[in-house]
Amino acid sequence: MSQARALPASPLKQFWLKWRFHLNILLLLIPLGFMPKYFADARMFRGENGLGVHQISGIQVGRWSLDLAELRNEAPRANGPAGHFKTFNAALCKTCDDGVKAIYLRIGKPRSLRAAGAIFFGTPYRMSTSLPIPPRTRPDADIWITIEGWDGSVHQASVPLAKASPATLAWLNTQGGKK
Amino acid sequence: MAQQSKKSKSRLWFLVHSWLALPIWFFVLIVCFTGMLAVVSQEIVWLANPDVRATKPNGDAQRLSYQQILDALHKAEPDMAVRSLRQPDGSHFALSAAVTMPNGTSPTVYVNPYTGAIQGKRPDFDFEAFTRALHGWWLVPFTNGFSWGWYLVSLLGLPMLASLVTGLVVYKKFWKGFFKPVRTGHGSRIFWGDVHRLAGVWSIWFIAVISITGTWFLIQAILADNHITLSTEPVVPVIAREQVPQTVDGTPAPRIDMDEAVRIATSQIPGLDITSIFLPATAYSHVSLSGRGWYPLMFQSASVNPYTSKVDSQFLLSDRSTLEFVTESMRPLHTGDFGGLAIKLIWAFFGLILTLMVLSGLLIWTKRTAQATAAAFKRGERTSRPRQTLPKPATEVQP
Repeated sequence: MSQARALPASPLKQFWLKWRFHLNILLLLIPLGFMPKYFADARMFRGENGLGVHQISGIQVGRWSLDLAELRNEAPRANGPAGHFKTFNAALCKTCDDGVKAIYLRIGKPRSLRAAGAIFFGTPYRMSTSLPIPPRTRPDADIWITIEGWDGSVHQASVPLAKASPATLAWLNTQGGKK
Repeated sequence: MAQQSKKSKSRLWFLVHSWLALPIWFFVLIVCFTGMLAVVSQEIVWLANPDVRATKPNGDAQRLSYQQILDALHKAEPDMAVRSLRQPDGSHFALSAAVTMPNGTSPTVYVNPYTGAIQGKRPDFDFEAFTRALHGWWLVPFTNGFSWGWYLVSLLGLPMLASLVTGLVVYKKFWKGFFKPVRTGHGSRIFWGDVHRLAGVWSIWFIAVISITGTWFLIQAILADNHITLSTEPVVPVIAREQVPQTVDGTPAPRIDMDEAVRIATSQIPGLDITSIFLPATAYSHVSLSGRGWYPLMFQSASVNPYTSKVDSQFLLSDRSTLEFVTESMRPLHTGDFGGLAIKLIWAFFGLILTLMVLSGLLIWTKRTAQATAAAFKRGERTSRPRQTLPKPATEVQP
């Protein structure tokens, strides 16, 4: 409207009147700034950056050999009341996926196959699971890989959590876990 | 006296309307424009990239079944693992297959539905996904719950709804405006004002749909981030250990093929038009099938146990609550992808009109309000610098 406005009284208002349209520039900088991250994430989800970060190759589990890596080099993500989760990827060696029925991941040694932990989803070349990380996990804990064969056999191996995910270790140290 | 207050009230509405999107007008413009692009992004890719077209090898070629497609893929690439098959809405589109290669890369490949031939890989720059990410969450990554970019964009639903309401309040007898010609030759202020009003009355329904569904996206994010769910969809439990056979020689237990899964699901759920299939992702997972039923805005799904051939879980239109019919209809109403190409073109056309509304609104504003504000500024400067001569302020009163 064309009403003759009173002179802007405060410097704050003058500042607003002078700079308000620059909000557009700030808003446009957001997608520009995130664009490299967007394309990097798209590459990651296409599996073009390899299995993940801090990859541990050639873990021998029974007669199979498996590679394990965390998806991102970061602390576990909160998922509401369900707790904190960390995504791990795994791949079976190229020629040895025969006979594997399921692969599980768990913090601490499973007492039985029924408590083997989080199951890996996907194909033998690249599978993924979301591992629950209780905040009171001991920093020297191991993560246990359980392979269940189609013949009912069970094979296990473990790697130190600190090696598989240093960021998770750093996060645990801020959670007041038992030493 | 009453008339006076009515007038000042309408002036107030007018001011509110004028200022609603203004300081962030370019942001709003880009969001509207990318939304328009996102609606037809699939069609733009179809025009640009022959790989995504379902070309018939000859006139009487028949579409292959899902299992025939899988067999053809396996024959062409024996080491490739297929995770899912999806037929986009429209038979002129090739199937999308999500696959994993032995080197661990997981591309999406386009598959000819008549021959099963792999026509190409989805390009690294995925125009469809990019326009949707830009429009939907301003490319801000999702790290913990919904991205703050999602909030930023979906918040615009509120001023958009407010500008629709205030626009209708200040436009006297707007229902008579549908066939008012746009006046040319009276200067650009009059021209853009007429364009803005004409486009506005024709877009009432569209602005209402987009702003209400946009606001729903905001509510959806707030609910999800506070871990509140309105969904009655059952969580499909994994297949019980007893139902997955063990084998003596260690070879995988036989599972039903995809055509059998489709047959079981469609015989149990009449009217289910299966357009996507997810192969079991573990030895304890179902074959998951989904597609539309009689209500084009929502999808139905069924989980078939590949060992027992039973439908273990389903989520049909009839399982939905009334609230879910409303909330689940919001997304397709926003994106216009529920009725084929015709609806998409209508949505894209009005999306373009909406973009134009933002632009014409800005032009009107610069020609009127900005001049008045600049004049007020000038007067301010003049009082502090009295030596300058005083030109007449260029104000124009035009409701």
